[in-house]
Amino acid sequence: MGLLFAFISCLLTLSLNFSAQAATFSVSPQDDLQTILDSTRSGDQVILSEGIHLGNFTLSQAIELTGKTGAIIDAQNTGHALLIKATGVHIHDLRIQNWGTNLTNLDAGIFVSPKASNARIENNYFQGGGSGIWVDTSSGIKIINNKIEGDLSLRSSDRGNGIHLFNVKGALAQNNEVWHTRDGIYIDTSNGNQLIGNYLHDLRYGVHYMYSYHNLIKDNFTQNTRTGYAFMQSKFLQVIGNRSKNDANYGILMNYITNSTIENNRIEGVQNAQHPHMQKNTTRSNPEGKALFIYNSLFNNIRKNLFADSDMGIHLTAGSEDNTLSGNAFIGNKQQVKYVASRTQDWSHEGEGNYWSDYLGWDMDGDGIGDVQYEPNDGVDQLLWKYPSAKLLLNSPAVETLRWVQRQFPVLTAQGVIDSHPLMVAPDFMMHSTGPRKITDIVKN
Amino acid sequence: MIDPKDKNLPEIDSEDPKASEHVNLSRRLFLGGSAALVGTAGVMATGVGSALAPSAAQASDSSSSNSHHTVGLGELDEYYGFWSGGHSGEVRILGLPSMRELMRIPVFNIDSATGWGLTNESKEVLGENHPLSGDSHHPHMSMTDGHYDGKYIFINDKANTRVARIRGDIMKTDKITTVPNCQAIHGLRVQKVPHTKYVFANAEFRMPHPNNGLNMDDVEGYYTMFNGLNAETMEVDWQVIVDGNLDNTDADYTGKYAFSTCYNSENAVDLAGTMRNERDHLVIFNIARIEAAVKAGNFTTLGDSKVPVVDGRKGSKLTRYVPVPKSPHGINTEPGGKYAVANGKLSPTVTVFELAKFDALFDDKIKPRDTVVAEVELGLGPLHTAFDGRGNAFTTLFIDSQVCKWNIDKAIKAYNGEEVDYIIEKLDVHYQPGHNHTTMGETRDADGKYLVSLQKFSKDRFLPCGPLHAENDQLIDISGDKMVLLHDGPTYAEPHDCMIVHRSKVKTRKLYDRKDPTFATTVAMAKADGVTLESDNKVIRDGKKVRVYMTSVAPTYGMNEFNVKQGDEVTVIITNLDMIEDVSHGFCMVNHGVQMEISPQQTASITFTADKPGVHWYYCNWFCHALHMEMRGRMLVSPA
Repeated sequence: MGLLFAFISCLLTLSLNFSAQAATFSVSPQDDLQTILDSTRSGDQVILSEGIHLGNFTLSQAIELTGKTGAIIDAQNTGHALLIKATGVHIHDLRIQNWGTNLTNLDAGIFVSPKASNARIENNYFQGGGSGIWVDTSSGIKIINNKIEGDLSLRSSDRGNGIHLFNVKGALAQNNEVWHTRDGIYIDTSNGNQLIGNYLHDLRYGVHYMYSYHNLIKDNFTQNTRTGYAFMQSKFLQVIGNRSKNDANYGILMNYITNSTIENNRIEGVQNAQHPHMQKNTTRSNPEGKALFIYNSLFNNIRKNLFADSDMGIHLTAGSEDNTLSGNAFIGNKQQVKYVASRTQDWSHEGEGNYWSDYLGWDMDGDGIGDVQYEPNDGVDQLLWKYPSAKLLLNSPAVETLRWVQRQFPVLTAQGVIDSHPLMVAPDFMMHSTGPRKITDIVKN
Repeated sequence: MIDPKDKNLPEIDSEDPKASEHVNLSRRLFLGGSAALVGTAGVMATGVGSALAPSAAQASDSSSSNSHHTVGLGELDEYYGFWSGGHSGEVRILGLPSMRELMRIPVFNIDSATGWGLTNESKEVLGENHPLSGDSHHPHMSMTDGHYDGKYIFINDKANTRVARIRGDIMKTDKITTVPNCQAIHGLRVQKVPHTKYVFANAEFRMPHPNNGLNMDDVEGYYTMFNGLNAETMEVDWQVIVDGNLDNTDADYTGKYAFSTCYNSENAVDLAGTMRNERDHLVIFNIARIEAAVKAGNFTTLGDSKVPVVDGRKGSKLTRYVPVPKSPHGINTEPGGKYAVANGKLSPTVTVFELAKFDALFDDKIKPRDTVVAEVELGLGPLHTAFDGRGNAFTTLFIDSQVCKWNIDKAIKAYNGEEVDYIIEKLDVHYQPGHNHTTMGETRDADGKYLVSLQKFSKDRFLPCGPLHAENDQLIDISGDKMVLLHDGPTYAEPHDCMIVHRSKVKTRKLYDRKDPTFATTVAMAKADGVTLESDNKVIRDGKKVRVYMTSVAPTYGMNEFNVKQGDEVTVIITNLDMIEDVSHGFCMVNHGVQMEISPQQTASITFTADKPGVHWYYCNWFCHALHMEMRGRMLVSPA
């Protein structure tokens, strides 16, 4: 019956579009969507009408799949809702929900098969337990303006990722919002991709990178995650203009990252206390939420970033040398620097260092550069964290004397980091702070 | 502003052993006097002073001077540590907690000092045409009812697909088995209970069968196998075909199950391919069912091998596959025998299995994932887990470069939705840890005293010695509430793994028994030649073959000289008659690449061609006596 109806509506639309050689199919929830999809040819358009279209559907032709307001694809908690097998598929303005939760089978809202390149997925709303969009070994995919919501009733480790990019090239993920999945955007063994303007919040990791080269990560925003940006075993990354707010363990984590640029990012409020398991009944005494963690990473340009209000401003270790660190601002971190290495580094570049909120030096010649070098880990950062009002005393003879004594009796040796040109004021870009981005209203069809 | 009664205020450690008395005195005086400077905020003196305590985990920070952990001069260590030597091919013995290297045991490598790989006795163990290299990863001692019994130490050779056995009484390799129809033995463990009947050995790489060059492109048709070696005979008793590949393995405390991790359930042959799956798996082997299948004749054989091969691929009664995120690496059974922990590697989680559920899984009463009782995040790159016997676990985090101490019961509670922080502490290690082990931690006798963390990189921790760097093995005190890093130990390539045994479990010989099987073949040869090894110094001619039998007693060999003809194949057989502990002799024939160890009451032999006429000196090269330099003799080679 449903099939017959679809057939009739096909005939109607076919006759209208005959000259373009492309057909438009209008499909009601009663129709057999899979049979209609199987009958499509490249360039056809399939429009779902309002209502819930139940099942798991495979797209084997380069078609456009969309829906009228209120059109929903519901996979009834099993398998992929949509499986794309053809190049050039365009899916937009749909609500896709209740796909499977079997992580072993990689269940996803939309699963893009190997070699199904140049898919375009935009303006959809996803809600389900497995991964939202899983892209397997294809190129040129565009994922734009989607909202992907995970399933809070599942344990974090049992959820899929919002957007999972495996072995892809030339992908663009832009202006998506992901929350309550496991990781926001997971990208693995994938070169030459762009992640721009995504909002990733209430997750394990916002952006999770593994072994992926030549990527652009720009203007993204992570909030309330365990780790904002986890960059691992990757080269030639451009990490520019991103924000991290109230992430628990790391703002930006760089592990074995080389030849990359980290610029104009704002990382604030990285504190372990944000972690759900630490808020109650924790026995841990030394929180170490790290705004920036640099591990075994060399030849990077780290400039003009803000690292603020975190348990730790920067933790650098394991032979991370030959990085340029200048023009950054480290403001109000409990511990500004944790430096685990035995060779000295000067974190200034061509006469420009960084701004340190606990710097107590002076600038007699008024050139904006402190006249004495900054040495982190002399304890003043800890003091200010524990007793903020002590700042009033910082220029008192008492503290100055303490510092003088320290220089005379260097029991607490400097940790091998100095900034020979500390900035007296935070760089300008700090002034253009915008408030946290609001969770945009989600139109649930 | 500062509450002097605030218990969280740290205190200056005026007892800091690193601070000189002058400095301590000055600081005490200063802090005492600072109240006057601050005036009304007098109490701040304590606060400011304490805030100045070192805040960072200093690169140089350690408390190694803590006398509790110091092994004094002339004192003996409490533990033996058996360290694999990685691609050096050897095994090393360390003393803990001093971390002194006590001995090296050549296994798969050629060793110039002892003549391993050069003597006839070692060649008999290594086999004809043996490979000249090896890659040893996982040393494990034989057990009885879950306790170390000191009898054998087993070690894999990933490079050449072998398993070796070291005898615990003489600490020498006595058997080496090549596992047939496999490539790269990686994970290795012993059966713990009721005793070590089997050594379990994972062959890591999938390959075609038969591997004859005719079916190389049928990648899906490749497979690899899990191997059960008989610990006494060192024969391969059976092989089990599996899906995916095999990484690490461990056994339970009932003797019923062994289990292995797999990081390549994708069956891929390139890097990208192995990364694809969200979950790989743990494959569980039912030992009794495997034995029954072999006994019932439900097996095949491959090629020339007579070893029974059973099929354990998915759907088999012999195995079960439990999906585990994501490319799991280590698998470790906790000393109570209740749980095993798989370490997620590319997933920040560890997966805890309740072993009591495996019976129901094999009886199909529950689903594979029902055996998982916790799967919790610890940090980045969890690789291996060790235990203190008090319910806590220590997991190496490769990417975070930390050891994470966590509580198993709390992890299970958290997994079940309770709001508990199962993580107790994280400790930085330097840098990037792989395996770790606690004292006695893989037996029922885990005592929670020390943890060893084996780091893959030392970076800047030691004086540089050129582009090649040492590894860094760190000793950590885990007896108290806090982990305390005690010692940095640079090691040469590349201790993948170690095993720590209380000294009470190890009983070694001072001297060789004259009936020791390691030189039984040589004894039999002497008997056939009518030679009494313990007294005779004789040359036996057998055509072009010449056998030179001599004794040694410091500082002389039983023969000052012997005569051969150019082109003779010469075998020198030496029996060390010394009865004094530590008086080992050596034998070196100059310019012939010949040298070996002969320890007290040992017989050793070595064969070479006397291809150059003239006088050739031989000498003793293990120092034995004040007249050691004089312990020498001449081989007189007459021209052909």
